[in-house]
Amino acid sequence: MLHLLKIELKKMADYRTFWVVCGLYFLTIGFSTASGMEFLKWLASFIDGFGENLNIDRIPLYHFPDVWLNLVWWSGLFKVLLGIMVVISITNEFSYRTIRQNIIDGLSRWEFIGSKILLNVLLSMMSVVLIFLIALVTGFIYTPDIQWKYVFTDIEFFLAYFLEIFEYLSFALLLGILVRRSGLTIILLLLSSMLELIIKVNVDDYFPNAIPFFPLESITNLVPLPFYRYAFMEIQDYVKISSVAISVSWTLIFNYLAYLRLKKSDI
Amino acid sequence: MQTVLSVDGLTKDFGRIRAVNNLALEVKAGQVFGMLGPNGSGKTTTLGMLMGVVNPSGGLFTWFGETQTNQVRKKIGAVLEHPIFYPYLSGQKNLELNALIKQCPTDNIPNVLELVELSARKDHKYKTYSLGMKQRLAIASALLNDPTVLILDEPTNGLDPMGIAEIREIIKKIAANGKTIILASHLLDEVQKVCTHFAILQRGNLIHTGPVDEVGKGTETVEVNAEVDNLNEILLDFSGTSSITKESGFYRVSMRDGFRGKDLNRFLFDRNVVATHLVTKKKTLEQQFLDILSSNPQK
Repeated sequence: MLHLLKIELKKMADYRTFWVVCGLYFLTIGFSTASGMEFLKWLASFIDGFGENLNIDRIPLYHFPDVWLNLVWWSGLFKVLLGIMVVISITNEFSYRTIRQNIIDGLSRWEFIGSKILLNVLLSMMSVVLIFLIALVTGFIYTPDIQWKYVFTDIEFFLAYFLEIFEYLSFALLLGILVRRSGLTIILLLLSSMLELIIKVNVDDYFPNAIPFFPLESITNLVPLPFYRYAFMEIQDYVKISSVAISVSWTLIFNYLAYLRLKKSDI
Repeated sequence: MQTVLSVDGLTKDFGRIRAVNNLALEVKAGQVFGMLGPNGSGKTTTLGMLMGVVNPSGGLFTWFGETQTNQVRKKIGAVLEHPIFYPYLSGQKNLELNALIKQCPTDNIPNVLELVELSARKDHKYKTYSLGMKQRLAIASALLNDPTVLILDEPTNGLDPMGIAEIREIIKKIAANGKTIILASHLLDEVQKVCTHFAILQRGNLIHTGPVDEVGKGTETVEVNAEVDNLNEILLDFSGTSSITKESGFYRVSMRDGFRGKDLNRFLFDRNVVATHLVTKKKTLEQQFLDILSSNPQK
């Protein structure tokens, strides 16, 4: 396992595109999640009455336990950057034909795909750890009076967050293996939500119960939009077991299909 | 001798085209095995199947008696078609990555780089290399794990004459260490110079296999010239003549079995003809190759 991850990291360690894209991703989610309050203050500084009508210190954006869901949901929006990186990494193997040499040199096809999947796991975990640390620190800074029973409430959203990123990256990997060309794959990846939406709208008329089972829908269903709670009293502040089950199933299906496709093809 | 590779009934179809048809081969330890064939005869597809990148449509093969081959592949050094490396990595890093995949120590990297004379450029990115350098890096990578079997597909493609000679020396050196080498090439000269055994493929069919030594045995060809007008007719009188072709400056006489150049010489002398030019030509692999190809008309 570790051996396969090492191989993948060795490929990426000197690849500038990898560092640029991943750097952009982690900087973006890091800074944007950490600076929400500063952003509100900045808004208040030039919007008349913003600070008076609404005391921004009382907006519970970063209060325990709201902070977990808020930051997880927000940083989830940027996963497309990682998805593009995964597509580049797999389609490169096809366009450089290095996948062929990897197999010739003694990797089995399962080991090859395994090393890609392990990198996806690593990237997902790094996102989780980064957001966890930022949420923890900002929570302690902005929560007015810290009550320990609230600090680690709702922490299960990190499991959902991990699944959200990992399922999406698994989807990107499968697309890359099916299409093999980087440009086309990236376009498909970006359009896939819209394509699914078109299908969903049509299916919704006949089988509304089927909607949560759509692959990309299952990714967004993991972490619900948190900001309703400030407008309405009712929000879903837990992770639905059914959503997790659907997501796990899709993740397994994506990765298994990627393996199956690779196993059957001549490279 | 230990059997390194055994192939039985190996077949590959690409759609309706049969690229390799029912191939059966055996390669023993220590052989330098040449695979010959025109372009598109199925050499690379065969090697691709043997190295696990092309899924066979039928048939079996075993490396060292094993059918599960991904661990075995780590003990084989192979370069198929073009050299393949990560363009954004340096030569050194590419080899380090290969060592990681093959699970062999990296200590050997300086040695193989020295052997192919790339030490000075090892830290430059692969994409800056010339074709010859890429080719040499591929050979370095194939030698990295000190393999017992080496597979080379057109290893001298695109090299200058010096590079070709160097690669040939490297191959001979490796073969002298008792390693098994499988060499695919359409350069017959190359195969004759380095190989002990060879096989000829045509349109996916194996049409000949045997030791290189046997090439050149059998019938001889003699080049003759003499200062007489009716040399052609005199040569036709010789009972050992199978056929005659006129070349620039001499006649080429193909001999029947059992007749040698000296027999022709004596015959001419008895007729009071003194040859000004008389050379016995053994069959080259090239002639044999063409003979075999032409005796197997394309289906």
